Amino acid sequence: MDKLKDTLQALIQPLLAIVAGLLVGAIAILLVGGDVLETYREMWKGAFGNFFFLTNTLARATPIILVGLGVALAFRAGFFNMGAEGQMVLGALSAALTALYIPGPGLIKMLAAIIAAIIVAGLWSAFAGWLDSRFGMNLLITTLLLNYIATLFAGYMVAYPFKDRTGSSALSQTQMIDASAMFPKLFQGMTVHLGFVIAIVLALGMHLFMKHTTKGYEIRMMGGNPLFASYGGVNRGKLMIISMFVSGAIAGLAGASEVLGTQYRFLDGSLTAANYAWSGIMATLLANSNPIGTAFAALLLSALQTGGMGMERNTDVPLEISSIIQAVLILFISAKITISFIKRKKAGAKDGSAV
Amino acid sequence: MDQLFDVSLFAAALRMVAPILLAALGGAICARVGLFNVGLEGMILVGAFSAILGNYLTGSITMAVLFSVVCTLVFSLLFAYMSINLQANVIVVGIALNFLATGLTTFSLRAIFDVKGAYYDKDMKGLPKLDIPVLKDIPWLGDVLSGQSILVYAAIIIVIVLQIYLYKTVAGFRLLAAGENPIAARSLGLHVKKTQYVAVLICGALCGLAGAQLSLGNVTMFTEGMTNGRGFIALVATMLGQSNPIGVAGASLLFGFMEALSYRLQNFSIPSNITAMLPFVVTIIAMIFFKNSGYKDEAKKSSGSSR
Repeated sequence: MDKLKDTLQALIQPLLAIVAGLLVGAIAILLVGGDVLETYREMWKGAFGNFFFLTNTLARATPIILVGLGVALAFRAGFFNMGAEGQMVLGALSAALTALYIPGPGLIKMLAAIIAAIIVAGLWSAFAGWLDSRFGMNLLITTLLLNYIATLFAGYMVAYPFKDRTGSSALSQTQMIDASAMFPKLFQGMTVHLGFVIAIVLALGMHLFMKHTTKGYEIRMMGGNPLFASYGGVNRGKLMIISMFVSGAIAGLAGASEVLGTQYRFLDGSLTAANYAWSGIMATLLANSNPIGTAFAALLLSALQTGGMGMERNTDVPLEISSIIQAVLILFISAKITISFIKRKKAGAKDGSAV
Repeated sequence: MDQLFDVSLFAAALRMVAPILLAALGGAICARVGLFNVGLEGMILVGAFSAILGNYLTGSITMAVLFSVVCTLVFSLLFAYMSINLQANVIVVGIALNFLATGLTTFSLRAIFDVKGAYYDKDMKGLPKLDIPVLKDIPWLGDVLSGQSILVYAAIIIVIVLQIYLYKTVAGFRLLAAGENPIAARSLGLHVKKTQYVAVLICGALCGLAGAQLSLGNVTMFTEGMTNGRGFIALVATMLGQSNPIGVAGASLLFGFMEALSYRLQNFSIPSNITAMLPFVVTIIAMIFFKNSGYKDEAKKSSGSSR
């Protein structure tokens, strides 16, 4: 009975946030002279209206889930990794280049691309962790700044050395990868691909890892009470670098999955314009860094975004309504996070890096 | 090299310093009362958009700047309420406000101007440029310092005013005390919450000015996400300057100069992607050399006892 009560209580806040988000969205719709019910109906149709739209929403959710999981791991350990965007972009770039230039059968190309993405993005992220543990540089700020450097660097790589010069298009992009290296689609003619399965498996795996392994316990302990963790013999610097590596690696995987499953090449700006990384961070915040919850929150955000696109096709309301609803969701949820942070503060957590 | 480091580079640097400096000063005041304001980026964005909107609605540049300040004040009230009254984690609130600012500005851009991405009106008047009487006749200095937008001079004056306010006035000392040791300040009968509110509101007003300089200073336009990381760079300037106005000004000068240099280097057939990295790389390198121990203590104090 207690457990049921706990679950209900855990659900109430997100539900309230969603209601608040929709209310503010309704005000915005009225402001631009739209019909609230009609608009939300179109939004629902755009996200879940038929099988194609549903799978489209799942496809969009794929990178958001993956990024969210990566960020959730770092957040759980108390490290504010804001660098998901740069990590994802570097992962996507490495995946595309590896798939293009590694010889061999498709499966080898695909696996090599994934591994390359994981290693490059992981190292890039671990670099920020190292800067913090070695030089005491605020992780939140360095990861934010490294985003700009990573995306600009990736843009340079596809605008100059690895630019696709075969086609007539002047876009900054790599060549298309070999068809054999692409992720298979889950359903014929639908956009959702193997990456979605990977994301769901990873969410479950991470849930188990956090709950049932020593490392998972160390991570939760570091996030919950760093002083206690270090007293218990957890090396903060080492754990920071490792968890940042894994966190970045998963964001890199998100990039690889987009390249191998959806775009089949690295196109400059396509990942950043779609806001996958920031949506992933939002999903993590919404779910308070719970892996399974992050997956659901990512689905919700993805549905808001694809729904917004459907809405824009059929009504006069601009799709930017979605971003307002998302922002209100986050704002409301940050009040909820407060509760857990107060608990943490009472436990005596006074660690500099996560502040 | 002569071509690179010419007069117009330094003039451009001063122009680009202003938004970073104004926002960084706001961040410094917030840091002084124990609030680490990650939402600077969003606040500048709101300021930049509302400056354009104010200009569009009223046609008066004074009203536009005023409108921008008012809008950013309202926006910063949200930050103050959530972090001071609701005691939400300031970093999460800051991040949430950045999302909200992006959402609000892109939505309003569509709803009000019916454009996607950017709004540009060539007939719109920008901030007036001031020619300083005697200064403008001095050969090199005159070309750099004179003829800047009015907010550039405002930024310089604000640095001096804040320095005096924080270190020479009673009210300023109370502000420092509220951040330094909130419990002691409270036991002396100081209103810590009120002081924090005042600090956040000052920060909001400064970010409004920063945004106005960004959207009305050189070209009169608004583009989605036009702050492009300046809020975060300002945050680093706050940290490097140890939240001391003169120090913050020094750090902002460095970053503004790097931004100007990065634009200038594009003329030397270096790819723009590489040159655009310059401000960010320099910012990160600067973080290695200037340890922000003072700032970190602030953060600990705030999480330890003020709330």
